[in-house]
Amino acid sequence: MSSDDEANDIYYDDDDYGDDFDGQAGSAEDESMSEPDAEGYDVLSPSIDDLPQKKPYDVTYKVRTVQEIMDMQNREVQKIHALLDIPTSTAAILLRHHVWNSEKLQEAYFTDPEQTLLDAGLSPPSSPSPVKRTRSQHTVPFECPICCMDFTKEQVEDLTLTMGCGHRFCRTCWTEYISGKIRDEGESARIQCMGEACKRIVRPELVDELVPGELSKKYHNLLNAAYVADSPSLRWCPHPGCEHVIECHQVPPRMLNQLVPTVKCDCGRFLCFGCGYAGNHRPVLCKIVKMWEKKCADDSETANWLQANTKECTKCQSTIEKNGGCNHMTCKKCKWEFCWVCMGPWSEHGTSWYQCNRFDEKSGIDARDTQAKSRASLERYLHYFTRYANHDQSAKLDAVFYTTTENRMKAMQTQGLSWIETVFMRNAVDTIIAARITLKYSYAMAFYLVRNNDTEIFESNQTDLEMAVENLSHQLETNPEPDILMKMKQDITNLSAYVKKRSDILLDDVLTGYFEGRWKFTVTV
Amino acid sequence: MSDARLRRVQKEIKDCAKDKTSQISIEMVDESPFHLIGAFPGPPDTPYEGGYYEVDIHIPDAYPFQPVKMKFITKVYHPNVSSASGAICLDILKDAWSPVLTLKSTLISLQSLLCDPVPNDPQDAEVAKHYLTDRASFTATAKHWAQAYAQAPASKQKPVPGKQASDAEMAGLAESNVQSFTDMGFERAKVISVLKKLNYRGNNVSNIHESTVLEELFK
Ligand SMILES: [Zn+2]
Ligand SMILES: [Zn+2]
Ligand SMILES: [Zn+2]
Ligand SMILES: [Zn+2]
Repeated sequence: MSSDDEANDIYYDDDDYGDDFDGQAGSAEDESMSEPDAEGYDVLSPSIDDLPQKKPYDVTYKVRTVQEIMDMQNREVQKIHALLDIPTSTAAILLRHHVWNSEKLQEAYFTDPEQTLLDAGLSPPSSPSPVKRTRSQHTVPFECPICCMDFTKEQVEDLTLTMGCGHRFCRTCWTEYISGKIRDEGESARIQCMGEACKRIVRPELVDELVPGELSKKYHNLLNAAYVADSPSLRWCPHPGCEHVIECHQVPPRMLNQLVPTVKCDCGRFLCFGCGYAGNHRPVLCKIVKMWEKKCADDSETANWLQANTKECTKCQSTIEKNGGCNHMTCKKCKWEFCWVCMGPWSEHGTSWYQCNRFDEKSGIDARDTQAKSRASLERYLHYFTRYANHDQSAKLDAVFYTTTENRMKAMQTQGLSWIETVFMRNAVDTIIAARITLKYSYAMAFYLVRNNDTEIFESNQTDLEMAVENLSHQLETNPEPDILMKMKQDITNLSAYVKKRSDILLDDVLTGYFEGRWKFTVTV
Repeated sequence: MSDARLRRVQKEIKDCAKDKTSQISIEMVDESPFHLIGAFPGPPDTPYEGGYYEVDIHIPDAYPFQPVKMKFITKVYHPNVSSASGAICLDILKDAWSPVLTLKSTLISLQSLLCDPVPNDPQDAEVAKHYLTDRASFTATAKHWAQAYAQAPASKQKPVPGKQASDAEMAGLAESNVQSFTDMGFERAKVISVLKKLNYRGNNVSNIHESTVLEELFK
C-alpha cells in the first residue's frame, strides 16, 4: 500500500479541526491571524487585522507567495494522507479530483474507497504500486503500439512502462506524450493514460521522472495554478511579472453587488479580488465596470474623436496641446481660460458652480421624437464617457508628469531645499493620479445610476473632488518664483491633503451606500 | 520524434493494405505519407448503402499524440457531417483521441458514425433538425445524396425509384411546399434555402407561420 516515499512525516495536529491553512506546526503561531472561516463571509464583523483603521467595506486579505500556496496544498494533502492512511501522492490526486473539498472526499472515501480511487483515475488499493521499482521477468518481446518500435524481452523492463492499468508503451512515447500535454495543452492534473478510453491519471512522480527540468517545472506551476483557480478564496495577482496570490475569505460572488474588494498586492499594485481587474476600480461595482468597459469598447468608433489630444481654443481657434493632466486650459495666444472637458469658460468652473460633472437630463426629457431621444441617449453616454476618458488620459499624462516633477525636485534642491523636503511634489502627483482614477470610475458609475437625492450628494462629492484635483493639478504645473518656494510647498501640501480628503469622502459615501442599499442602478447588479 | 511518426504511418498504410476483410483503403495523394485519402463503403442497411465514401486525411506533426485530421471528400447527408464542407463532429477526432487509435480504426469509427448518428451533438444543425423531425424524409434525402454523390447504384436503393432526384428532394423538402412559395413569384433556389433553414418539413410545417417564411424570403 505504501510506496517508497511514504513512510515519513506523518503527524496529527489535534487542534486542526477547521479548514484553515494554518495547521502546520511551527508556522502556526505567526500566521494565526484568525482568518474568518470560509462559511462566515461576514463583511461587517470586526476583523482582526494589523491595518490600523479598517473601513467596513475593506476586506481582510493576505498576500501569499507561490511557496506558501504549495505549503497550503501540502498541508491539505498531509491531512488526508493521515486521515485516510493513503500515500501522499494518492491523497493529492484524490484532492485535486474533488476540487480540494476534503470533506466531500472523506465522505466518498469512507463510503466506497475502491470506487473513489477509480473515479479519480487511480489503481484500486489491491493492485500493485503504479510505478514498479522491482524488476520483473518479461518473457516476450514487445512492440510499442504508438511508435511501432520493437523491444527485446530483456529491454522491456527498462525501456517500457505501464501505470498498472495494463497499457504498456515505450518510455520515449510516454515522454513525448506527457511533454505535449504540458507544453501544448497546458494540462497538469488530468493527464491520462495513453490507452484508449483509459482514465488512469499520470502521477506527478512519473511526470518528474520522465520529463526533464523546465517542463516538470511548468507542470508544477500548472498544478499550482489549478489549485488557485479551484479555490474561491485565492486569486493570482494579474499584474505582469508578479507571482503573488491573494488570499481572502470574505468575498463570495453573491457579495459583489455590495462590495468592491480592492486589495493591494505586495508588488505595490492594486487589484480587485472580486473580478481580477488589474487596478482599483472603486467606487464602481465589478459588474458595472465590466458592462461599462464593454460599452466603451463597442462605442469606441463614435467616441474616438473625444480622445484626441489636441483641441482648438474656442476663442482664437489656435491649436492647443494638452501636456499635463490639468483641465484648466489657457490659450497661449489669446490667454482665454477654459475647461478642457466641456470647452466652457473656466470662470464658471473655478468657484461656485462647477457643473462639468453632471449631465443635464432635461435635454433628454425635452426630446421630441425617437431620433432626438436616441441622440440624447448618445449624448448622455458621451457626456460620461468624455469625463471618464479624460481622467483616464490625464492620469496617464500625470504619470509622464513624474519625470518633469523629478526635474523640478532637482531644481528645488539647487534652490536650498533638501531632497526630503522636495518629496511633497512626488506625493502630490501620486495623490492626483489616485484621485483621477477614482473620478474616472465614478463616471462609469454615474452613467448607470438612477437619479434621486442620493445621486445629488454623489455628484456634489464628484464636483468637489474634481475641483480639488484641478486646483492641485494647476498648482503643480505653475513654475514658482524662487522666493515663494516655501509658500508653494505649503500650498501644494495643503491641496494634496484636501484632494485625499475629498476622495475619501466620495469613496466612503458610495461604498457605505452599497451596504445601505442607497444606490439604484438602471441595470441589474 | 518525426522518425517515429513516419515509421508509424508507413506501418499503418502497409497493415491496411494487407487487411482484405475490413474494406477500408488508405492511399497516398502524392509523395507525402502525411496527406492521404481513406475510403470505405457505406454501411449496409443504412441510407448510405452502396455508396463509396472518400475521406481527406492529414497527419499532423505531433501524430499520434495529436489526433489525425479527417473530413469527408464525398458529400454526405448526415447530422454529424457538414453538408457543405465535409467537416466531421466525432469525439475521437477531438478530446477523446488516444495515441493508440489508428487511421484504420478511425475510419471504421466514421463508418459506424454513418450507422448511428448523434443528432444531439450535430455538425450540421439543419440536417440534424431534419433527422429529428421527419426520419422518413431524412432517410430519403440521404439516399438521394448517396446516389448523386457517392455513386450508390439506384438498384440497391430499394424504396426510391431510379430517377434523378429533384432539387427539392435533394434538400429533403416536399415539392408541393416549395411550389406554394415559388407560385408567389419567389426564386426557387431562395425558397429551397429558406425552407431548409426553417426545417419546413413533416409535422413541423404546421408550426411555422407563412409570415415567418415570407419574412425570411424578403430578407
Ligand atoms: Zn513508443
Ligand atoms: Zn491505461
Ligand atoms: Zn502583484
Ligand atoms: Zn472588481
